Amino acid sequence: MRILQSHTNNTTMVYLLRYTTKYLLKSAQQLPIKRSISALYITGDKAKKNYAPLQPYMDFEETLSQHEPLEESIKARKLQINLDELKTKYAKFQSMKNQIKQVEEERESVSKKLKELNKVGAATKEIEQLKEKGVSLRNALKSLKTENYPIEEDFIHSFLNLPNHLHPKCPQGNVEKLLYRSPTPRCEEQQPTHLANKELIRFYNNSRYYMLGTLAEFDVYSMQALTNYYVQKGGFLQMANPDFARLVLLEASATPLEKYHLVKEEDLISEVNRAYLTGGATFEGFLAAFARLVVFPKSLPIPMVAPGRSYVKVANKEGQVDNLFTATQTNAVQTFVATKSAEEAEEQMDKILNLAVDFYKELGVHFRVIYEDASALTNAECLRASIQMYSPAEQRYICVGNVSNYGDFVSKRIMFCIREKNGYTFPHIVSGSVLHVTRVIALLLENGVNLENCRLLGDPDSDKKAVNAAVDEFKDLFK
Amino acid sequence: MAGTKIFINKLSRPLVSEIFRNYKTMWIISNHIKLFSAHNVNEIFLRDIEKNILLRKHTNNVPVIKTLLQKLRKCPNDVEIQRQIEIELGKLPNGTHSRVVNYGEKGHEVYNNNLAPGTGEQFSDVCKYLNVLRMEHLGHFAGHKSYYLMGDLASLEQSLVRYTMSYLRKNEFKLISVPDILPSNIINGCGMQTEGNRNQVYKIDSEECLSGTSEMALAGFFTDQVIEEQCLPLKIAAVSRCYRAETSGLNEEKGIYRVHQFTKVEMFAVCSEKQSEMVLESFKDTEMCLYKQLNLKFRVLDMPPNELGASAFQKYDIEAWLPGRQMWGEISSCSNCTDYQAKRLNIKYKTKDGLLKYAHTANGTAAAIPRLLIALIESNKIENGTVYLPEELRNILNNSLLARNKVVPSLKLIKHF
Repeated sequence: MRILQSHTNNTTMVYLLRYTTKYLLKSAQQLPIKRSISALYITGDKAKKNYAPLQPYMDFEETLSQHEPLEESIKARKLQINLDELKTKYAKFQSMKNQIKQVEEERESVSKKLKELNKVGAATKEIEQLKEKGVSLRNALKSLKTENYPIEEDFIHSFLNLPNHLHPKCPQGNVEKLLYRSPTPRCEEQQPTHLANKELIRFYNNSRYYMLGTLAEFDVYSMQALTNYYVQKGGFLQMANPDFARLVLLEASATPLEKYHLVKEEDLISEVNRAYLTGGATFEGFLAAFARLVVFPKSLPIPMVAPGRSYVKVANKEGQVDNLFTATQTNAVQTFVATKSAEEAEEQMDKILNLAVDFYKELGVHFRVIYEDASALTNAECLRASIQMYSPAEQRYICVGNVSNYGDFVSKRIMFCIREKNGYTFPHIVSGSVLHVTRVIALLLENGVNLENCRLLGDPDSDKKAVNAAVDEFKDLFK
Repeated sequence: MAGTKIFINKLSRPLVSEIFRNYKTMWIISNHIKLFSAHNVNEIFLRDIEKNILLRKHTNNVPVIKTLLQKLRKCPNDVEIQRQIEIELGKLPNGTHSRVVNYGEKGHEVYNNNLAPGTGEQFSDVCKYLNVLRMEHLGHFAGHKSYYLMGDLASLEQSLVRYTMSYLRKNEFKLISVPDILPSNIINGCGMQTEGNRNQVYKIDSEECLSGTSEMALAGFFTDQVIEEQCLPLKIAAVSRCYRAETSGLNEEKGIYRVHQFTKVEMFAVCSEKQSEMVLESFKDTEMCLYKQLNLKFRVLDMPPNELGASAFQKYDIEAWLPGRQMWGEISSCSNCTDYQAKRLNIKYKTKDGLLKYAHTANGTAAAIPRLLIALIESNKIENGTVYLPEELRNILNNSLLARNKVVPSLKLIKHF
């Protein structure tokens, strides 16, 4: 009797599963076909075609439980993200996951039972029924997974769109916070644009311009000098980075894709994970070296500096004239420090800024350092300082460098981790382009500075010249 | 070839005269007059051209041109056919110097400094020990054959740039900062094709191209210009990032020997037709001086026709002995492009008699960083795990040794948490 009842139950179950399978397969077909593709998180159905180079670390419960700072960050950054909607998505995702888990468990128990029955040589009918149930469960699991992929993708992509928390120092409400102002007064008199120096600059468009003679020399020597200053004075490790970064890194660092040119490669290693022309002296240029890297706590901090190119496209603003301020290519110096903690990150950010201030002071032109408003930050940054020089031609400040604190936001997403005794933690990253050479050249010209007389901190020749000048001055006292 | 008519802008603006003394350019209103005219091509011309192509083992497009010409005979006014013929004519290689015509397929060694070979340590082994180069596991994050130079090796890159720049400055080269993103017509004009399969040129989403060498940007700089003869030759240097889509699976080209991205210091000259051979010799001499001071064992080869790029009339290669690889590796070259690029990019000069002529161009590699790094590390003394560098670089580098990087821990990657 008991056996019979069990048989009836099994048959009902099989029919139920068959029906569910059919329904799920049908509804899966009706789902919207177009799904966003990400290289950072690839769902199982797309994994065959698209290799997932890493799996970002995501703690859903922990992140979503911090409602208040997250809400504050979203609001201050002026993002259109609804946390309640995201939580609903999460609940749906969780429920699907549970359903899948349930069916998986059931399937496992069926297969276990089958094995046992096979061992004891049970009746064929019973085995057949179990097999049928197993097949139905497999189909049901397949359908559930198919149904789940878009749900999973939708939730995870939304989750990955969440911003970093804000640093307490980050100004909010469209304000900038002044950190430093050089004592050299600002040139208030209207000056002609730097492009008026036709004998020294030939500007075609934002992609293509040439600088000649002294400018071209300054272009290389200033970049080398500041790099050298960070190495000698700050103990930074000099690097030369690759110029391409793939989509996975851009997504991990929440870099807007329109910031860089997409490279049209002939031999694509992945349809999704395409290459972008970033230049080596960019934040993204460093990331490939740290993706999936495991370090021990004693290795930190890791301070690095890279001279090289940067190819950031400047967004077109109405009424903005194209010139060296909006040009894509420049020589640049990019700093990057991986640290153990938030406190260490803060210290390192100050150190980077202090060394940069030393360098800019010597140029003899007015500049300032500010903390930018939260709305100007990318989702990955929690604080950004901007080094700005004044353009007497355009009567506005131009950003010539910046340093950002990323917390552990990017480390988690690129699997850059610290091996602790009990598991893993994530380094806090501080990074910034401290010298945008092309813009500095344009600004020095507008401010009437003779580039040949500029003292470049960290430049061996410039340092020698300064020492000789000081000695001469001293000798003059006794004449 | 069609007759050339030039319109000179009445408001011609003298440019860059401060940089190049007495250098005056006259800008032209009308753009480049068509280089070749389909109607002026005849059988004799094609026969000579094909002979030259076969000698250089260049892609033979003469049959295509002949077919197009037949079509044109049937429809003489078909503009599209004329355009196609002009495109094909533009792809033809330069002529070949009579001296090298009978060289066969091997270059002639014209110089060898016969230095004793260096230590014989492989570059990759030294770098691994010193922890100054990372190439592993970067493909999915940066790209195939990507690399990071770290610590002293990265400093050495910039020191080599500085060393080369200061030498070129002393030898009256003027420096220009050049763009790495260029319109395709400039690259085509330099003798590199940007269309077709297995292309060496990277394209980006704006349909522009990434420059493979600053020679392209520099040639582009002089496009549509007329220069006074007395200002010639104009000797220019540029430091740039070079992008090449070509790949290599050859074992002897492993590591950073052939990469997609690298830094290069380039020499370029615009000169008159009488000067180009002399300029090429001076480029070769400059390269030799630069490498002599770096203690490299090297030889100079006068290259045979099949080794000449489309734009080169003659070319020297400099090969350094790489003791770690036990082979000669090309570290530099210089080419005389005669009027090949000038015709395609409309670069002219005005003779003392007021005649307008196509200028000649020449180019040479002063320092291609990755191979120079290999040659330097493999050729210099290594003791107690540090590499001793040549005197010339010590002052610039502020350090006579290449030391082990202890900042970045050795590579350990995680698969999942």
